[in-house]
Order: sequence, then structure tokens, then C-alpha cells
Amino acid sequence: MGFPFILSIIVFAPLLGLLLLTLVAKTKEKTIKTVAILSTLPSLFLSIYLIISSKMGVELVSYSGKLSWMQFGNPEVFGKLYSIDYELGVDGFSLTLLLLTALLSTLAAFASFQIKAGWKGYYMLFLLLEVGMLGVFAAENLVLFFIFFEVTLVATFFLIGKWGLYEKERTAFSLLIYNGIGSAILLVVIMVLFAKTGTANIEALMSILSADDGTVFSPKVKTGLLLALFIAFGIKLPIWPFHSWMVKVHSEAPAAIVMLHAGVLLKIGAYGLIHFGLGFFPNQFQSLTLWLGILGVINLLYGAFLALSQKELRKILAYSSISHMGIVLIGLAALNEAGIQGAMFQVVSHGLIAALFFYLIGIFYERYQSSSMDDLNGLAKTMPIASGFLLVAGLASLGLPGMSGFVAEFLAFLGLFQEWPVLAVIACLGIILTAVYILRAVLGITFGQQEKAKRVRDMTPLEIWPAIILLLCIVGIGVYPDIISSTLKSIIIGLGG
Amino acid sequence: MMEIAWIIPLFPLFSFLVLLIFGRKWRRGQIDFAVILSLVSFICALLVLFARFTQENVKVEFIWLTIGETQLTAGFEVNQLNALMLVIVSLVSFLVHMYSKAYMEGDERITVFFSYLGLFTFAMLGLVLSPNLLQTYIFWELVGVGSFLLIGFYFYKEEAKVAAKKAFIMTRIGDVGLLIGMILLFWQVGSFEYDEIFAAISAGDLSETMATLTAILIFIGAVGKSGQFPLHSWLPDAMEGPTPVSALIHAATMVAAGVYLVAALYPLFAYSEVAMLTIAIVGGFTAIFAATIGMTQKDIKRALAYSTVSQLGYMMLALGVGGYVAGVFHLTTHAFFKALLFLAAGSVIHAVHTQDIEKMGGLWKKMKWTAPFFLIGTMAISGVPLLSGFFSKEEILVSAWVSGHYLLFTLAIVAAFFTAFYMFRLFFLVFGGEEKKEHSMVKESSNWMTVPMLVLALLAIVAGYIQTPWFGTFLGDWLTTGIAANVHGHLDGPLWVMIVATVVAFLGILLAWLMYSKKVISRDWFTSRAPYTYQLVVNKYYIDEVYQYIFVKGSRFVSQVLHFVEVYLIEGLISLVTITIRQLSMLGSKFQNGQTQLYGTVAFVGLAILIVVFALTGGGL
Repeated sequence: MGFPFILSIIVFAPLLGLLLLTLVAKTKEKTIKTVAILSTLPSLFLSIYLIISSKMGVELVSYSGKLSWMQFGNPEVFGKLYSIDYELGVDGFSLTLLLLTALLSTLAAFASFQIKAGWKGYYMLFLLLEVGMLGVFAAENLVLFFIFFEVTLVATFFLIGKWGLYEKERTAFSLLIYNGIGSAILLVVIMVLFAKTGTANIEALMSILSADDGTVFSPKVKTGLLLALFIAFGIKLPIWPFHSWMVKVHSEAPAAIVMLHAGVLLKIGAYGLIHFGLGFFPNQFQSLTLWLGILGVINLLYGAFLALSQKELRKILAYSSISHMGIVLIGLAALNEAGIQGAMFQVVSHGLIAALFFYLIGIFYERYQSSSMDDLNGLAKTMPIASGFLLVAGLASLGLPGMSGFVAEFLAFLGLFQEWPVLAVIACLGIILTAVYILRAVLGITFGQQEKAKRVRDMTPLEIWPAIILLLCIVGIGVYPDIISSTLKSIIIGLGG
Repeated sequence: MMEIAWIIPLFPLFSFLVLLIFGRKWRRGQIDFAVILSLVSFICALLVLFARFTQENVKVEFIWLTIGETQLTAGFEVNQLNALMLVIVSLVSFLVHMYSKAYMEGDERITVFFSYLGLFTFAMLGLVLSPNLLQTYIFWELVGVGSFLLIGFYFYKEEAKVAAKKAFIMTRIGDVGLLIGMILLFWQVGSFEYDEIFAAISAGDLSETMATLTAILIFIGAVGKSGQFPLHSWLPDAMEGPTPVSALIHAATMVAAGVYLVAALYPLFAYSEVAMLTIAIVGGFTAIFAATIGMTQKDIKRALAYSTVSQLGYMMLALGVGGYVAGVFHLTTHAFFKALLFLAAGSVIHAVHTQDIEKMGGLWKKMKWTAPFFLIGTMAISGVPLLSGFFSKEEILVSAWVSGHYLLFTLAIVAAFFTAFYMFRLFFLVFGGEEKKEHSMVKESSNWMTVPMLVLALLAIVAGYIQTPWFGTFLGDWLTTGIAANVHGHLDGPLWVMIVATVVAFLGILLAWLMYSKKVISRDWFTSRAPYTYQLVVNKYYIDEVYQYIFVKGSRFVSQVLHFVEVYLIEGLISLVTITIRQLSMLGSKFQNGQTQLYGTVAFVGLAILIVVFALTGGGL
């Protein structure tokens, strides 16, 4: 049983919505929103279907689809034919991320209802962004990956530049410059790999590079390429000190876009590090793990300490994202089963938790036009339900057992303690600091008497359901992590070899 | 019955979920519903305990998480220790549920309160049932959250917010120790299961250094949870929560979890002499240290809280000197009489609307039930003969003496004297003396409140008889069958230990009576003679201030330094990048100025360079 084109449908279904939207008049707010939401649904349902059928025992390989796309070069002169195919495929990790993307896109499309003007342009770009994100995780070759990667960049640039808050244009340019540099470096790496091996197919590259004993690339070149990948994806993740662009995006982009930015886009960095960095150059990766671990600890503590002194919830969460991405790095630094699995769990878990936070921020912003701790103080009185969700999101974020963040943190630390116990002990400071800054932020907002007594309505029943869906996912993974660990396991076995 | 012990925590969980989701409608019915569920949970726990008398241990597990070849499991286990704990926890929880129905009446968030109680009870029962360290850690954190939510229940009060935050963070500091210890132990033993850890220990697979290290790290977790020095200061602040919560969480159950953890992992601790000595010293020091502070507090709940810290120190001391049974025994009796004292204190606070003991007084006649109950609790904790506390305290003292730690034994005796003194000081100030005018309207609390106190009072009297030198050592014999570590069911100590303990208790009571009831000795007798010592003690040895200075200010300082780095260094880095790009583009645009001469020069220079390169490389490019 094969489904060769199911992935193509998943990736390009939002494009259909985009085309439909071109036909709708830009004043028809309701129609635009309905079309947009509906066109995120096919990808969501189909990726759920894929997950379920893979659980039922269908091989993931059978989803791969391939079309011959372009070929060039003369085999007689160069000894090989350079071909780039259109090929999509998934493994356990990318399938999980595909589902995460589809889910968060639907919820973010819903959260985008708060956009006050320019719905048509907004939703067209939004759907384009979704195509890009889905494509990144489904791409089976580097050229395709790069194209989708750039699509997400272009879409976010315009979404932030036009619909962002006060400093939207500066932020958009900052995003463009940083990610542009990252993309340029990534492109160089891709070209070098392609030129030397004649293929851009990820799996083929993995087998060529892992079998390579220095004939294709000398170990030094490999280390160089890996470092280039670290920088390219490190900017995206972000790894300290390349993080300042994402702090800006967190504080200036519309909340619904930050849901996707923190929930999915940053994860491309982690995905790239794991898939390409570790997948292509496992030996070189091994020799760099100490540095990766140190950077991870810096991320973890630096983010936590800075989150401690912020007043603006968005900024606290931005630094919190930096801190939490440190967990991904230390998991990878451990480079054992527990560590890698922890890193992957953290990618998924932080995606869900960050999305929940920014979903709530969108709701606060609509009512208070602010997400500063001072303005929201005493929220438990005016918005008890929203405060409850905020508290739960905070607890999930500080790694409370029973929720997804704990599983990720626990596995990453379990792994790190085996390989680098001293680093791990230092990193443990982060566990305490996370509790400190999260409680400071959450209690600062929910507790206390509201002085600026402003009567607002609590979350409406319609607004509650996206929060509940996210919460169910977070708790589901936390209570029974085997749900996704069995899906993730397939790739770890592949990588560990 | 034991095979379905997992059902016990599910009742309170169900109560939590139902009250959380439907909390806003149908209030009264929901509270009765919660009370009934907690009763059902207690009955099941009781059945499990009875079943355990005749049957063997039960352990059921399933796969929770797979890491490569390693499978982490979750499940439940019933053994003597946790069967006993199940009953204690579910009983106190049920009584507190009942009591709260009246105590919290009229509060508009009463269903929220009951749902949090459900969450806490669920977590605590889950903790007790855990068959491995990882699951214990999971529930360990969850009880922390339950406690956090309930301390911060009055969310509009700044003190409640600060106290809730402090409780969570200070216990989390301890939890990190537990986490590290647990992970290190995992890499040594290859499992989180208690059984396998004990098997590895008895097989000698664990080096003594590693055992000491992991045991002490795990003990740090217990220090945080059980309010031992130096992580004790959150517990008195936790009294900002509603009083029933203080009785349930911060007296009878959660704070005893640290003691329970040490008891549950006893073979590991017993394997390392250093770890045992650490526990004994920390426990002994905490016992006397907190008792001194307890003598100076003016807030009834805070005085009781310091008393709890001190009593938990006693239990730790017992475990540390090898008195496994003594520690668990005191945990049991303390759960009853301390819960009783808190509930009685709550009843008083409910009646007079203050927590300041200076403003109370003369309530003996007004509160016909509460007053004798409080007296029973006071007598039990002070070690008045024939009440439960007398037997368990004596067991601890005997253990300390027999183990040969004479200094710790002396500390414990002195602490016993202090305990009797500060508890009767409380009693005389609150209930003795002249009736105050403003209290003329004071009435006894309703039956919902007095009945739970009655049950606890009976238990505070009789619970000691499960382990006495006279009528048999049933508890000890039962607890120690099948325990891997070398522990005794009962220790025969010299008779004079019992006599000394009794005399000391009565001396403490006498002093309190002379000072606060008869007023023969001035209350200022000590304070006027040693004002500096008094200041030191009444300010809790300035520990909060020291922590504030070192940790809070310290982390704020680091945060500001890093903020500086962020603003000037990292932002500077971006500016550098953007400026470089701008400069490069300006340089590039200079070439496009429309002068054909320049273009010609560039073309010529470029060609020249190419020719040179070509010549040097020999055309092999």
C-alpha cells in the first residue's frame, strides 16, 4: 500500500486556499477567515491520518513521492549526472513536526482573527508560510529544503513588516539580515555537498557521507561544513549570541505569527542540526559535543537570567525560548539515546507550550493592548479562565511532571549526566532559574489587586478550545510519552549508527 | 483489594477534574461530592492496609517511556510502609475535606479550593504508591504544585503570592538535588526501580562513595520538602494558606514526604555511614533550632509551623541514627496530633478572626470542644505519658542513645523540653487567662469542624499503642519484615531514658505554667537578660535576610550584568554586521559612478590579475 502523493497534498493544500483567496474581495472579512481556516484543515487531518496509519504499522517509506525535476551535466565529461528531483518523504521526527506544524497553523489561523485590517493579504501570506513550513519538514532533498526554507523567510518578513507592532519594520529587516546570512551559509554548504557528490537527496547524502573515509571530503572539510551548518541553523534556533533578532520578533510580531515563529520556525534550526548536522557528519559532530554542551548551558542560563529582569511578557518568553532551546543543545551534546530523544521531545514540547503562551498573549493584547506585567496585574480577578491557562502554561514551561516539558528536560539531563556530568550540574541551575522567572512572570500577572480596574470579558467558549487542544497535547505527551517516543525512535536508531 | 490499590488516588483526581470543569455551577452538591470521594478513597486505603496484614507485597507496572533498549516503567506498589502512609494521607485528607466544608463556607472560590485539595491528595497518594524513583519524583513535584496553589489561594494578598513563590522555589532547589541524585543512581544501577536499587546495593554493585553521594543528593530533596535546615524558611511562610491546608499539607502529609522518601530508600542510606550521619545531624540540629524559634513566635500558625519543622527534624534524626521504626512511628503520631493542633487553631482563628496569640486568651470556656482538643494535641506533642507522642518520642530518644550519638541525644532531650514549653505557652496564652471583651460573641465552631477534630483527638491519644515497650511492638515487627536494610523492630533502651523524657516534658510545662498562667516568673525574664540573643531568635536567626541578600540580590545582580552584555555587546554585534554590510554596499556603489575611465581601469586590473594567476598556476586551472 503506497501513498506516493499524500505528502504533496499535505504540503500544497494551503496553496489551494491561497489561490481561492485571490478570488475573494478584500473587504469580505468573514469569507476570507473561513476560507483560510478551512484550507489549513486538509493538511491537519491528513497528517493525523499519517501518524495513525504509521502507528498501525504502515512503513513511513511508503509515503515518499518522487518526480524527476531537473538534470544537468554531461556524464561523459564529469563522470556523473547532476540531478535534482522533486521528492518528499518523512521519518518519525519530521512526521511529528509535520503534525505539529499543521496543528499550530490551524490554531494560529484562528488566533489571527484579531488582525484588524488587511485580512486578505495577511491570510495569503499566512498560507504561504504554512506551505513553506510543511515543505521544510517533508523535503527529501536539500535544494527543495532550501526553497521551502526561503519561502518561510519571505512570508514572515512581510507578515511582520506589515502587521507587526511598533517596531515592525526594523524587526522585519533584522529578521531578514540574520536569516539571510544563515541562508547564504546554508546555500554554500548545500552547493559544496551537491558539487562533490552529485546528489542533493538527504538519504543518499547520509549514506555517502557516513561511508566516506576521506575520499569525498577530508575530515577537516567535514568539520568546516559542520561548523557552517551550526552557524546557519544556530541563527535560526537560535544559539547564543545569534539570538537578538528572535527577541525582536517575539516582541514585535503579531501574536499569531509568534505562535508559529516560536512553535515551528525556530524548530527548523533544531531539525536542521539533528537531520543534517548529525545525520551527515556524525563523527565530526561527536568531536564537537563538548562545545555544543557549553553553548547549550550558556543558552540555558543566559536566557533564564535575562528573562528574570524583563517586564514585558513577550520578552520574558523570548528569553525563555532561548533558555529552552539550550535544552535541545545539551540533549544533542549528550549524543546518546536519552539525550537525542530529549532534544526531539523538547522541540515538540516547546513548540506546543510556546504556542499556548502566545495564543494567550494574543487574547490579552486584544483586551488590554498590552502584554506588560504592570498592565495585566491582577488578571485572576478579571479573567480567571485565561489566568488558569496562563498558570498551566507556566507550569508546563518550568518542566512540571505530567506535562511534556518535563519529559524533554528529564531525558536531556539524563543523557547529559552520562556524558558530561559537570556541565549537567551547572545546567541544573537552569531548572531553578526557570521556576523563578516563570513564577515571577505568571504570579506578577495573575496575582494582586487590579489597580487599573478595567472590565474585560474572560475567554469566550470559542476562544477556549484552541487552548484546550494545546493543553491536551501537552498533558498527553507528559502523562504518556511513549505516544510519541515510539514514533521518534525510528530516527534515533538510524542516527545512532 | 491490593491489586486495585491504584484506584485510591483516582477518586481525588476525579474530584479535582469535576470541580475544575464544572466548578461554577451546582456548588453545594459538588462540595459534598468531593467530601464523599475523599471518604471512599480513605475506605479503600483502609481495606488495602487490612489486606496487607495477611498478604504479600504487590507490584504492577507498565512501560512508560522507551529510551533505546532501556524501558522506564510506571505503576504502583503496595508494601507495609506505603500501606500505612496511604491510610494516614487519605484519612487526614478526608477529615480536612470535611472540616473545610464549614471553614471555607461563604468563600466564593470554595470549589476551586476543593479542586486543589483533590489535586494535592491525588498527588500525595500517587507519591506514596510509586514503585520507582522516577515516578516518586513526578508526584513529588506535583504535590509541590498542589501546595503552591493552596498557599497562594488568597491570590489578592501580596504575602500569599510571595509565600507561594518561595515555597515552590525553595523546594525546587531541593528537588534539583533529588533529580541529580536519582539520575546518577540510574547510571550506576541501570534502573529507577526501588527493588533493583536495593538489589544492586546488597550485591555490592554500588561503590560506597557513589552511595554516599547519591544518598546525600537525594536527601537534599527531602530537606527541601520536609523543611529541614537550611531549606526550612518556606514552611512558616506557607501558613499564608487557609488553615485546613496547613493541617493537611504543611503538617501531616507533604512535609512528611521527605521523611517518607528517606524511609522508602532506607537500604541506600543505611549503606553509607556518612549519609546516615548527615541525616542525623541535620535532623537533630533542625529539631532544636526550630524549637528555639517556636518559643518566640506570636502568630499561632507560625508557632505551630516551627514546631512542625522541629518535629520533622526529630524524625530525620531518628532515621539517621538507625531508628527506622522510630522515624516512621513518629511520622504517624505526628500526623494525627499536628493535624489536630492545626485544625483546632483554625477553629480558634475562625472564631476570633486573628492569628495573634497576644489578642487571644480566655477561650477555654468559650470553646467547649476546641479547647480540650487543643489541649490533647498539646499534651501529645509535649510527650505527656500515655499519649501517642510520648511513645514515639521515647522510641526516637532510645534509638539515639543506643546508637551512641550522645550529643544528638542531648540535643533531642533539650528540644523536647523546648517543645513542651512553647506548646503550653501557646495553650495558656490562647485558652488560659481572663476572657477578653471583644471575644464575648465567640462561639464554638460547627459540627463539621468539631467532628474531624474529635477523630484526630482520639487518634492522638491511642495511636501510640501500636508500638509500646509494654503492650508489644506490633508496628515495628510488621514494618521491618522483609526490609533489605539492617533495621530493628524495636530497641530496648534503658528505663531512665523514659523517665528523663517525662521529667523534661513536665519541666517545660511547669515553666510555661509559671510564666504564662501563674505569671510568677515574668515573661520578660529571658528577653531582658539576653536581649541580643532574643532579637536573634525572634528574627529567625536572620536567615531570610541572608538568603535575600545572597540569592535574590545575587541573581538579580547577575541578571543585570547579563542585561548589560545583551544591550551593549550583542546588540553591538548586530550593529557591526549591519554597518559592515552598509559599508560594503557603499563601496560597491562607488564603482558605479558612470565614469567610463573607472570601468576601464577595473577591467584592466581584473584582466591583469587573471593573467598573473594563469601564469603562476601553469594554466592548469
